[in-house]
Amino acid sequence: MTQRVTAAPASAFRTILPRVRRQRHPIVGWYRRNERVALSALGLVVFFAAWQIGADLGVIDPYFFSSPAAVLAAGFREVQLPRFWNDARISATELGVGSLAAVLLAVPLGIAIGWYRRISLTFDPWLNFFNALPRVALVPLVVLWAGLGVEMKTVIVFLGGFFSIILPTVEGVRTVERSLLDVSRSFRARERLIFTSLVIPGTLPFIASGMRVAVGRVLAGVIIAEFYAQTSGLGVMVKRSSETEQPDRMLFGVLIFTLLGLVLSEGVGSVERYLQRWRPSIDLEEAA
Amino acid sequence: MIVRRFAKVNERVLYGVLGFVGLGLVWEITASLGLYRRSLLSTPTAIWRAGVTDFGNGTIFPHIAVSLQEFAIGFVVSLIVAIPLGLAIGWFRRVDYATSALLAGLNATPNVALIPLIVLIAGIGLESKVIVVFLSAFFAVMVTTTAGVQSTARRHLEITRSFGGSQWLAFRTVALPSTLPFILSGIRIGAGRALVGVVSAEFLSANIGLGFYLGLYGQLLDTARLMVGIVLFGIFGVVIGELLRVVERRFEVWRPDIRA
Amino acid sequence: MTDHLALSARGVQMEYRDRGTGKRLLAIEKVDLDVADGAFVSLLGPSGCGKSTFLKIVNGLILATAGEIKLHRVAKGREDAMVFQDASLFPWYSVLDNVAYGLVCAGVPRKEARLRAAPYIDLVGLQGFADKYPYQLSGGMQQRANLARALAVDSAILLMDEPFAALDAQTREVMQSELLRIWNAARKTVLFVTHQIDEAVYLSDRVVVMAARPGRVVADIKIDLPRPRALEVKRTPEFAAYEEQIWRLIQHDRVPSPLEQAP
Repeated sequence: MTQRVTAAPASAFRTILPRVRRQRHPIVGWYRRNERVALSALGLVVFFAAWQIGADLGVIDPYFFSSPAAVLAAGFREVQLPRFWNDARISATELGVGSLAAVLLAVPLGIAIGWYRRISLTFDPWLNFFNALPRVALVPLVVLWAGLGVEMKTVIVFLGGFFSIILPTVEGVRTVERSLLDVSRSFRARERLIFTSLVIPGTLPFIASGMRVAVGRVLAGVIIAEFYAQTSGLGVMVKRSSETEQPDRMLFGVLIFTLLGLVLSEGVGSVERYLQRWRPSIDLEEAA
Repeated sequence: MIVRRFAKVNERVLYGVLGFVGLGLVWEITASLGLYRRSLLSTPTAIWRAGVTDFGNGTIFPHIAVSLQEFAIGFVVSLIVAIPLGLAIGWFRRVDYATSALLAGLNATPNVALIPLIVLIAGIGLESKVIVVFLSAFFAVMVTTTAGVQSTARRHLEITRSFGGSQWLAFRTVALPSTLPFILSGIRIGAGRALVGVVSAEFLSANIGLGFYLGLYGQLLDTARLMVGIVLFGIFGVVIGELLRVVERRFEVWRPDIRA
Repeated sequence: MTDHLALSARGVQMEYRDRGTGKRLLAIEKVDLDVADGAFVSLLGPSGCGKSTFLKIVNGLILATAGEIKLHRVAKGREDAMVFQDASLFPWYSVLDNVAYGLVCAGVPRKEARLRAAPYIDLVGLQGFADKYPYQLSGGMQQRANLARALAVDSAILLMDEPFAALDAQTREVMQSELLRIWNAARKTVLFVTHQIDEAVYLSDRVVVMAARPGRVVADIKIDLPRPRALEVKRTPEFAAYEEQIWRLIQHDRVPSPLEQAP
């Protein structure tokens, strides 16, 4: 550099300094790496502690809201009763059969409907309509057809799962068709080959996303049906507890559904994440 | 040539209407032929007649009015709570972490399961329904708002920092506008959930409202009126959904992922 | 005539440590750089050589792990303003509000910011587009607005991070020529990052050539082409000579730095 340069007085400069690296206490390091787990656990603890303390102090009325300790105690009592396990078995049956039937029917039907554009356009409004319909409205109809027993409840469960899964399946097939089939058709691939190598893998993430939504729907279906039918099942237990003014037992029942919902949706969620690794698709509707 | 283009543009509507009309016809015909018990599903004509009657003598209006009222109050309150909360959770990482477990649990709980508890606390009238509507809409609105904030383009936030703007300015001028389309989408989804909530709650325990109407005529095996209720519900859902979609589309250009 | 230094960097280093493996990565090994007031200096190099990183350190977006940078302080306001590569106009603001944004960030009230920003819209050639929105603008026009925003802040130093990389070849040439016109009018110090040799030679007084792994300066070449420079200068033999010289430097620099060869 051959320019003649005169350094200006020091005060005329702003100095940008580097980052100072401080030594951190090992606990801080651990916290930084596991911040999410630590804080969410803290949030839970604070919530339950506040609830318990509030109930003990009478700030919130334990008659209505119960307390964590009471709920646990009620739960402990419940699981020792054979009636509880009978109820659990029945609800599980409704849930299992209904969900399985929903998946087994919705996926093939969804693929078939999605494959033929005109058919999907025809059925689309109906599928959306039934998906948005609250199943409580359909319960009296289903009771008319199927009585008040396990069959009716299974149908309600089935309906929730079916429409939650078939809609994204149809959408998945249509999305795949739009984006990929031009390519394969230009190479004149055989239709069956297109199907197995493109459509099915491409639709899987959509199906998985639908199943994640279906988890909430089928659980709600069990409850809705059992609230109405009131014969036996965990949902019935919840309703009876509210009628006999036993909020701790009722909350225990709700807790079971919550835990079940968490486990199931986490399971489906991890399958979905695995499938989405090579097919990112963000759908706000399902995220909510 | 013109006809073909017209048909293409409106193909969606065409097939949709075709499906609608087609199903209606099939329904009417199979019912009149006595292929199954008429009371199981009613028929389009019977439903129409029942609807005209109830609208004519005004018996249905109080139910609609109450349901709309419960929906409106619960929904608006849920927006007032869920949107700021969603913004806070999206913007402050620590708030997100702290509330994540609790919100996951709340989300996993089917709202219906909480209805008996809510009725126990708040009784059988308007308040309990408002609470149920609130819970139904809350999560959808909050989650989409959070997703919106968290999807704010990093580059945009970088720009504020680059020019020396404060975090508060970044939130106001970057995150908020960027999140608006997501909030609107969440409002639309939440409205749908809220409608389901109000009907479910009224169905299970109320003495007035569309849900109650459904339950009553279900018990009385008046399938025609039951269907009137269902159709009304469907209409409300579609109308509200479409209105909100229009608003949503107006702000589509604000999404950071939409380029020229 | 004495020149002041607009920017003076000593020993700037940027080291990343992978949290998972613990491996250290030197994005910038050591950079010493002096930039005179009003000069147009390019940082040229392949991806990974640290040129953008250096720019961000100057702008304050990243903190270096070692070294110091001195910026000549002006009377008020920021010393530097950055022009980003792409996707950097807010879709929800009009062009005017976008161009005024740098001032808003500096604390200027919105009304005044709009007034001060307006002439810069004309300066960059976007007359009449003040009320349009980014989606209504082409890529080249968006970059003009980008430039206007940085100019409106009226800082002494302009930092430009591959601003024309996302544009097609024709638009890019037009923008290069426009940039020189604007620079002549505004008389700023420019630090310009690019990976295109011809762009660097055409625009700059000096081309600082950098290499990657680790990021470091390998050459500092003075460009003695007369100003003002029309686009035709790109076809002259002198220009080609500079290009050739720099190209050879980049090709030959497969040799690791002396520091790396320590046992």
